[in-house]
Amino acid sequence: MADRFPVITGLGVIAAPGVTVAEVWAAIAAGQTALQPLTLFHSPRYGQIPVGEIRHDLVALGAPVRGSRSDKLAWLAARDAIRDAQLDFSQCGNRTGVVLGCSVGGSYDSEKFLVTLLKKNRMRPRATRFHECSSPVDAIANDFGCYGPSLAISTACSSGGLAIATAADLIQSGAADVVIAGGTDSLARTTWAGFHSLLLVDSQGCRPFDANRGGMSFGEGAAVLILEAEEHARKRNARIIARLTGWGASCDAHHATAPHPEGAGALAAMQSALRRAQLSPADIGYINAHGTGTRDNDVAEGKALKALFGDNVPPFSSTKRFFGHSLASSGAIEAVVCIEALRRQQLPGNPGFHEIDPAIGLTPVTETRLGTFTHVMSNSFGFGGNNAVLIFSSADTQPKTLPTPSAPAHIVNLGVIAPDQIVDRQVEWPLPPETVRAHACSPQADAATLNPIQRRRLSRLCQMAILAARRAGKPESGHRAAIALGTGFGSLDEGAVFLENLIAKDEAEPMPTRFPGSVHNAPAGQIAIDLGVRGMNSAPTAGEISFEAALWQAMNQLSCHEADEALAGAIDELNRYPLYLGKRWGAWDDKTMPGEAAVIARLQRESISAPLARVTNVKLGRFRRPFDAKLEAEWIAAQLNLKDVTAIVSGARGWPPLDPLYARVVAELTRIIGHPLEHQTYRERCGEFPAASAFGFSVAVDLARAKQSAVLLYTLSLRGGKAVCRIEP
Amino acid sequence: MAISTTELKQNIITALNLQDITPEQIDDEAPLFGAGLGLDSIDALELVVMLEKHYGIVIKDIEEGRPAFRSVRTLADFIDARRSSA
Repeated sequence: MADRFPVITGLGVIAAPGVTVAEVWAAIAAGQTALQPLTLFHSPRYGQIPVGEIRHDLVALGAPVRGSRSDKLAWLAARDAIRDAQLDFSQCGNRTGVVLGCSVGGSYDSEKFLVTLLKKNRMRPRATRFHECSSPVDAIANDFGCYGPSLAISTACSSGGLAIATAADLIQSGAADVVIAGGTDSLARTTWAGFHSLLLVDSQGCRPFDANRGGMSFGEGAAVLILEAEEHARKRNARIIARLTGWGASCDAHHATAPHPEGAGALAAMQSALRRAQLSPADIGYINAHGTGTRDNDVAEGKALKALFGDNVPPFSSTKRFFGHSLASSGAIEAVVCIEALRRQQLPGNPGFHEIDPAIGLTPVTETRLGTFTHVMSNSFGFGGNNAVLIFSSADTQPKTLPTPSAPAHIVNLGVIAPDQIVDRQVEWPLPPETVRAHACSPQADAATLNPIQRRRLSRLCQMAILAARRAGKPESGHRAAIALGTGFGSLDEGAVFLENLIAKDEAEPMPTRFPGSVHNAPAGQIAIDLGVRGMNSAPTAGEISFEAALWQAMNQLSCHEADEALAGAIDELNRYPLYLGKRWGAWDDKTMPGEAAVIARLQRESISAPLARVTNVKLGRFRRPFDAKLEAEWIAAQLNLKDVTAIVSGARGWPPLDPLYARVVAELTRIIGHPLEHQTYRERCGEFPAASAFGFSVAVDLARAKQSAVLLYTLSLRGGKAVCRIEP
Repeated sequence: MAISTTELKQNIITALNLQDITPEQIDDEAPLFGAGLGLDSIDALELVVMLEKHYGIVIKDIEEGRPAFRSVRTLADFIDARRSSA
């Protein structure tokens, strides 16, 4: 396992300063920022404020016509990175994964659905097809032929950093040989007006760390790194550009939007990355700061830097004024900046800085200049107090990072909020009135235990998440704990309410309370605050396998000893938009009903406690089209120990297109095992929603306990993902 | 004409979705943030929107509003001062 070190063999980037790595670096070397007034969409109130918009025609650059703006940006960056790495997926596609940070997702395009509905009273449901944050991941995996683990990480502004960290975990644990890793986010009306409503935008363009800074600047773009296991890169004689030697994540558990005033979470994430790399602070030669230019971020980050480095803070800069802050892709774009800085031995400048702020007391690298260094650090912090830190090192360094073989986890407890009634739900304004039968959760008796001052601002989704987590149980004091909470739809209703109001009132009277709640990681962030959980805090999204993606991340945190306990779960709620659009998305039909649930498992490493049951493995991948059941059954047999397996719990739903596939795989598996398998389903009990396999997990745990034998949970996603896990008593 | 603090309190309650709280329960002089009502920075932003919607006062930098948001009394004085200078 010694050569499972992640190395970087290819880079691709597209952002306002340029559409290639060379163009982007030329702008950085020349100190040229790309901020200009907005042209992408009409913004009556904020249109003149400078922004990092990509003004190229993306299709003319080669992007597919199909897909959202974020999909296209990601596709272009991935294409360039794959070319740069000279990868041939006919050779390694089965062992290639895709992990992208994505927070805006297809909003720029799906917003047109609401704009035409509210302004012209016309329905355009097709505009919402690529809304989900997992859409760019599926587009890349399907187009380029990658069949390894694929998921999106949606933790707001730290997404890109956490996605690259997760990709490194996939490589180190042996789950993939190559990962297309990075981030993508386009400009969108919701996020644009959202940050303006939080008064976080500097009308003169961002001035990170400057005494007179007045907030961030907005941007968009995508960046992709080809991460590869060193042994794999060596075998194919690939050029190694740099190494990823350290990565760490943490959560402030402090506030939905404001950073911890002392930068405690930022410090913890930097320390965790250094620990992983087995480096000391003195080894770091350059830091690409998160440096958004908001008053609070820059002060907190400065305090964290001084706490870690004392009086010897290495050269650092924020490159945000070159690009604008592109949210989920900023961590990935800045990773490319860091790798290029290493390769060229140049320290990128910090445009916008003129005067030292006494509250920070640090001066960044003002203009791009030469330097000599071996290790660089890249910081990404986001809403929900979510922090991710990466350390890149020169290709010729000898890494010390230890391999982390995956290990089983004990399920200490399960917190389940599941539907208990079938109701007629009305689809409401602005959607056309319609009655939809649905599986729904009743108001929970324990909701009264939530603090009323908090509750007034907690969305129903966040309330469900907190209650499920409390039922799963608070991690023991003194234990380091992590959270991974998957979701398919995320906080769709919060974002929709914010956007409806925005469009109806032409950006007057925005709703600042609603905006922070609209990010996918809002529920996980609220759990962290409620239970005081300060380790990694992730919100993966991957369609129907969103729960399994979260389970993988949580179990990985345990097996590499980044956490002593982890909460793994998934959540989706019934709201107007899935109710109305679900049928049109192909998520359900007349025979099946939508549903909702929040299910969270509290996990510990095998050594700690007496469990409810154990999860021995969770494996992620993608299936080939046309679907070959024999191949899929063989994949399961190769991934897991099938000894003592007597039942399989599948995501079959009582209608095509996936049902016949499940039945054929179960038949093939029965042949391999040599005795009949009990086939259980669960969607008829909880309804249809992307995160439903979390409920399936609770069914599988009950079944394993009842039968006192091993049970498989097997899930396919409509967009090509697959997952299997083994649960035993 | 000085604004009515009762009306202002009602606007605050509506803007911040302070269920179960009546204008009479809010003391004119008590701090709105931190202790007191337990409001935070996001509530301050809702107050910014409320000021624009009901009183036509535009705040572009939260620092500008910070001293005004100390209590209902300081907020009422701020509104009066802004309106008379307009």
